[in-house]
Amino acid sequence: MGSLRLATVTKQYDDVVAVERIDLDIADSEFISLVGPSGCGKSTTLEMIGGLTIPSEGKVFIDDEDVTDLPPKDRDLAMVFQNIALFPHMNVYKNISYGLRIRNTDPEEIERRVNEAAETLQLEGLLTRSPSELSGGQRQRVAIGRAIVRNPSVFLMDEPLANLDAKLRVHMRTELQQLQRKLDVTTIYVTHDQEEAMTMSDRVAVINDGKLQQIAPPLTCYNEPANQFVAGFIGSPSMNFVAGSIDGAQFVSENLRIDLSDADYDGVTDVTLGVRPEDIYFADAEPLERTEPIDATVDVLEPIGEKIFVYLDAGLEEATSGDWADADETVGRSQFLMSAPSESAVEEGESVEIVFDRTSVHLFETATGEAIAHDIVSEPTTPTR
Amino acid sequence: MREDNEDTERNLIQQYARRAIERPESAYRVLLYVVTAFFLLASLFPFYWLFVIAVTPNRSIVDMGLLPKGFHPSVFVEVFETIPFHIYMLNSAIIATLTTIVVLFVGSIAGYVFGRYDFPGRTPLLLVVLVISYFPGVAFLIPIFQLFTANIEFLGVQSPMLYNTPWSIVMPLSALTMPLIIFLLSTFYAQIPDGLEDAARIEGSTRLGALVRIIIPLSAPGFATAGILSFIIVYNEFFFSYLMVSGTGDWSPILHGIFQFQGSQQVAYDLMAAASIIGVVPMAILVMVAQDYIVSGLTQGALKE
Repeated sequence: MGSLRLATVTKQYDDVVAVERIDLDIADSEFISLVGPSGCGKSTTLEMIGGLTIPSEGKVFIDDEDVTDLPPKDRDLAMVFQNIALFPHMNVYKNISYGLRIRNTDPEEIERRVNEAAETLQLEGLLTRSPSELSGGQRQRVAIGRAIVRNPSVFLMDEPLANLDAKLRVHMRTELQQLQRKLDVTTIYVTHDQEEAMTMSDRVAVINDGKLQQIAPPLTCYNEPANQFVAGFIGSPSMNFVAGSIDGAQFVSENLRIDLSDADYDGVTDVTLGVRPEDIYFADAEPLERTEPIDATVDVLEPIGEKIFVYLDAGLEEATSGDWADADETVGRSQFLMSAPSESAVEEGESVEIVFDRTSVHLFETATGEAIAHDIVSEPTTPTR
Repeated sequence: MREDNEDTERNLIQQYARRAIERPESAYRVLLYVVTAFFLLASLFPFYWLFVIAVTPNRSIVDMGLLPKGFHPSVFVEVFETIPFHIYMLNSAIIATLTTIVVLFVGSIAGYVFGRYDFPGRTPLLLVVLVISYFPGVAFLIPIFQLFTANIEFLGVQSPMLYNTPWSIVMPLSALTMPLIIFLLSTFYAQIPDGLEDAARIEGSTRLGALVRIIIPLSAPGFATAGILSFIIVYNEFFFSYLMVSGTGDWSPILHGIFQFQGSQQVAYDLMAAASIIGVVPMAILVMVAQDYIVSGLTQGALKE
C-alpha cells in the first residue's frame, strides 16, 4: 500500500516561496515524475513528502494518514539521493542493512533480505566492499538496494541518475523502471530531464516556479500541454512559439497568416502560436491537414543522424513570454526549428516553403500562457489519447 | 655599480644583506631556524632544568649551574616510595577523563546544532559562547568555591558540598573547555554532507541517532582531537585543581602530590622536580601518539569554514 496525497502544500523560506499550493493525488504503485527546471521546487516537494522539510502550509497524507508532522523515520518510505549518499564508513552490506539494523530486525531476516536485494541488483560479490571501491553505477545500485530492502510503501528518488554518465544513465533508467514494476511500489521521481520523466512515468507532474503546471500521462503533456510552459518544457527540441493576434479568424504575425476559421479560440485576441519542430514539414511533403505555405530561409543545418534539425528564418520577431515562464527555457529564438527527415535535400541559405500540421498547432493566450486549443481543425478534438 | 659590488664584499653584514635581498628564501630559512631554536629552547630548557634539579641530591641544591651536582637517578623511584604518587596521577587522569566525557557529550550535541542547524539566533548564541571562552576561569573562582562548599542557598535549596570531590574540578573545567570543543566540533560537523544525514533519517534514524551513527564516526579525527585537547587542558590545569580540593582528601590531583614534598621545615626540591617530570610523561606519550590526529584535526577545522 502506498497512496500519497499532497493537499495545498506550500513551503516558504523567508521571502522566497519555494513551493506554492501544490495538490497531488498519487495512487498506489503509480510512478510519478516531478519535472521542471532547476530551482522550480520539485526537490523541496519531494523533501516535504519525505519529511526532511516541514511544509509551511498544507498537509501530506500517506495511505490517508496525515503524516505532515511525522519525522521521516515514521513515514515508511525510502529515498534515493542525487549525490547517492552512501555512508562512507560502512561497507555495502552495512549500508544496505542500515535501516533494518536501526529497527532491530532479526539478524537472520536482515541477512536474507540483504541477499535478496543484492541478487535483484547484481551486487552479490560486492557486499564487503566499501563505497569508495565501487563504480558510479554500483554505488547507485547500492543506494537503490538500501531503499528497497525495507519494502517501504513509497519510494522517493531525487535525480538518482543525474551523476551518472549518459550511457549508464539510459541503462539504469530501464533497470529502475523494471524494478519499479517488479516491486510494484509507489514511486515519486524527481528529475529535470523531461525525457527521463516522459519515458519512465505513468504520469508526469510539471512544476515551474513552485507551482504545479500540469499533471498528466506523458503523452497528454506532450500533445495537450496545459500551458505554454509545459509546451516548451516537454519535448526536445522544444516547441516554437510565435506571438501574434487573432484578426478575422486568422492568426496574424508579421508575414505569417494562418487560417483559424475552424478553430475554437473563445474570442481571445492576443495569442501565441506554438508548433513543435516535428510538426513542421516542407511544402512538398504531404501531411493530412496543412496550413498555407510560409516562405523561409534555411539558416543552419544540424544533422543528428536519423533526422536533421533545420533552423529557419521566417522573418518573424521572436515570441514573447508572459511573466509566468522561465524565459531561457522556452523562448528566445527568432528562428523556427524544424525537425526534418535526414534525407531532406536542403542547403544552408536555401529558400524553402514550410507548412504546419494543423492537427498539432497549439494556441496559447499570450497574457496568461494558458492553452486555448491544441489543433486548428474543424472537428472537435478527442479529449484524451 | 661594479665598484659597489666590490665594496660590499668588504663587510660581512652587508654581504649577507645583499644575498638576502637577492634570494629572500635563504633569509626566511635562517629566520625559521632562529625562531624554531628559540621555541625549542624556551620549551625544552625547563625540562632540562627539572631534570638537573631532580638528579641532584637535595642537600646539594644550592648555587646551581647548568650541570647537575652529582647524579642520583633513584629519586624517580623515591617519589613513589615517599607518597602514593601514582594515586595522584590516577586522580588527575580520572578527573581529566570525566571532564572529557562531559565535554564531548554536551559539546558534540551543541556542536551539531551550531554546525548543522540554521536556527534563529544562531550567530548571537555562538558569539555568546565565544565570549564566555574568553573569560578567565579564575574570575569565577570565589563564587564557585562558595557554591561548592554548600554556602549558597537558592530558593531554599542548599548548594551541594562538592569540595574535595572530583566534581568540583570537573564541572568548572567542563564549562571552561566547552566553547573550544563546541567550535572545533561544529566546524567538523558542518563538513559532513547534508545528504548523509537526510539518508540516515529517511532510513529510520532520529537526528540524534544520525549524529551518533553517521556524523560522529565520520568526524572521528575532530572528535579525537577534541577529546585529547580537553584531556590535556584539564590534566594541566592549575587553579581549580589546586583550590577545589584540600590536598589531604582522596581526590587530590598531581598538583597536590607535588606539593606533598613541600614540608614546613624543608622542601624536597629533587623529589618535586622528579614528580613533575613523571607527571608530564603520560601527556608527552599521549601527544606523541596522537600528534597526527591533533594536527590534522586542528588544521582541518581551521581550513574549512
